[in-house]
Amino acid sequence: MPGRLQKCIFVLLSAGIIAAANRTDVSKLPRTAGGKPDLNGIWQTITTANWDIQDHGAQAGPFFQLGAIGAVPPGQGIVEGNEIPYLPQAALKKKENLANRWKADPELKCYMPGVPRATYLPYPFQIIQSQKDILIVYEYATTNRPINMAKPQEAVVDSWMGTSNGRWEGDTLVVDVTGFNDQTWFDRAGNFHSDALQVTERYTPIDANTINYQATITDPKVFSRPWRISLPLYRVRDTNARLLEFKCVEFSEEFLYGNLRKGPANSEK
Amino acid sequence: MKSELLAVVIICAAANPLPAQTAWKTPKTPWGDPDLQGVWPSSSMLMTPLERDPKLGARNVLTDQEYRVKAMMSKVIKNGLEGATPSPRVNIGAGWADYGVPDRQASLVIDPPDGRIPPLTPEAQQREALRLSHYKVKHNAPDTWEDLTMWERCISLGVVGSVLPLVYNHGNQIVQSPGYVVFRNEMVHEARIIPVNGAKHIAPAIRQYMGDSIGHWEGSTLVVETTNFNGKAVIGMGGGFEGAGTLPTESLQITERFNRTDERTIAYRATIEDPNTWTKPWTIEFPLRKDDSYNTLYEYACHEGNIFMYDVLSGARAQEKPDEGAAAK
Repeated sequence: MPGRLQKCIFVLLSAGIIAAANRTDVSKLPRTAGGKPDLNGIWQTITTANWDIQDHGAQAGPFFQLGAIGAVPPGQGIVEGNEIPYLPQAALKKKENLANRWKADPELKCYMPGVPRATYLPYPFQIIQSQKDILIVYEYATTNRPINMAKPQEAVVDSWMGTSNGRWEGDTLVVDVTGFNDQTWFDRAGNFHSDALQVTERYTPIDANTINYQATITDPKVFSRPWRISLPLYRVRDTNARLLEFKCVEFSEEFLYGNLRKGPANSEK
Repeated sequence: MKSELLAVVIICAAANPLPAQTAWKTPKTPWGDPDLQGVWPSSSMLMTPLERDPKLGARNVLTDQEYRVKAMMSKVIKNGLEGATPSPRVNIGAGWADYGVPDRQASLVIDPPDGRIPPLTPEAQQREALRLSHYKVKHNAPDTWEDLTMWERCISLGVVGSVLPLVYNHGNQIVQSPGYVVFRNEMVHEARIIPVNGAKHIAPAIRQYMGDSIGHWEGSTLVVETTNFNGKAVIGMGGGFEGAGTLPTESLQITERFNRTDERTIAYRATIEDPNTWTKPWTIEFPLRKDDSYNTLYEYACHEGNIFMYDVLSGARAQEKPDEGAAAK
């Protein structure tokens, strides 16, 4: 029978091994001149969450002409526990959104994607971390959002990307995002929120090329309790990696205004 | 009198950044680059036209008399805007527009020395005449959104249009990180990422509204060369609004210089060249000035709220129906 000291050592060792497996050797993280983790770079997720943040199997797409190109790829969700705690009315609305998704998803219209959807859209984004504030530029629709790292500012007006106030908790960048409008969705499956949405994001680097990303979603008008998504962000390591221009307005105009063009809409030709 | 003289000296200094600015030393970022960060609206230059009044010739500094006229005009515009009554359709009244401050600089174009944009090449003259005649016919009764400008469609004002003074939401912000400078333009929410780390231009096959920018430092001045344009963004005030400006081709190249001349001023210069469009390069230059009342860029969700597009297109369709016109009488 092991003595108390041995038990203690065993527990300590195990804890150390687990910590090493799950966490970071923080001494190896790239750091800024100010000693904070250096999150600068181009990042992207590897996930089908933009199709559906919950677990989903493969499905046919809406347009047979696109064949396998237009199909919905399968994916394991990013929602912790997979359940989204909709209030009863909101659950109906989600179902309705899903039924209308090929007409109603704001992504079809090239609207700014909101937070956290901007993170797991299938496009890269770049973190610009200055000595003061942080700017995130997303390739999709040239969306960009400043993160105020000084004294927190209240949202003066509702917006698509919200108002972001950031702070460091150890090596984690914590960003509180408030002041959203009710126009964005979380995915192409119709998961949605109201203008009472508040998002708290946590960016925790675990090595030079990986950030653990978590976002806690709070919206008492839509959900019975806060819930959380988590997934890794990977550094885009291609030597020529650059954010390119995806100004998608032009690709949405026929969809949005086609019924107002002179003569028949392209869809009716 | 004394303060007026001082203002003249300051304004002249701002209008011409080339003389040695020995007193001012550009601060550095922790990683050693010149620090240009901050919000730099172009609003203060709203009263200064792009091209110079031909009467002034090669003189780009206004006389006292000319300056007084400009100041008076500025006041009239300011009073007009502040006294505006809200329209019932779009709930904006006073306060949405800026009016700038009078400035001694006579034109934003500084080269050619007469402050006039050089003539178009013969081929470009034909091309532009065709484009503008189409614009005149179609703009007020568009067949499709494609008959409207890139600004009205909320796509892009392009590199030059995004920084030229505009009457509203013309904030610019510079954010830097090691190896990068980002130039944000509030209107149509541009964020041009400029590598200053020795990166090369993207492949010629990739064309973009805002082109592809690569920067380097010359002393404390940021020099940015932009290529890879798609030739779809008009160069001029307001992205081609009211038929202004010229549509360049894909061979457009823009060289910009951002020179922080003091705590509150960046001398901004852009040389525009496209041998398929203009007979020679031309250069604009003006100060981007900090403004304590303008230190935040708001989210400019232009396309998201573009009810103009529905109104204009549905209006054009309604006008095509003869019955409705008759019924209205």
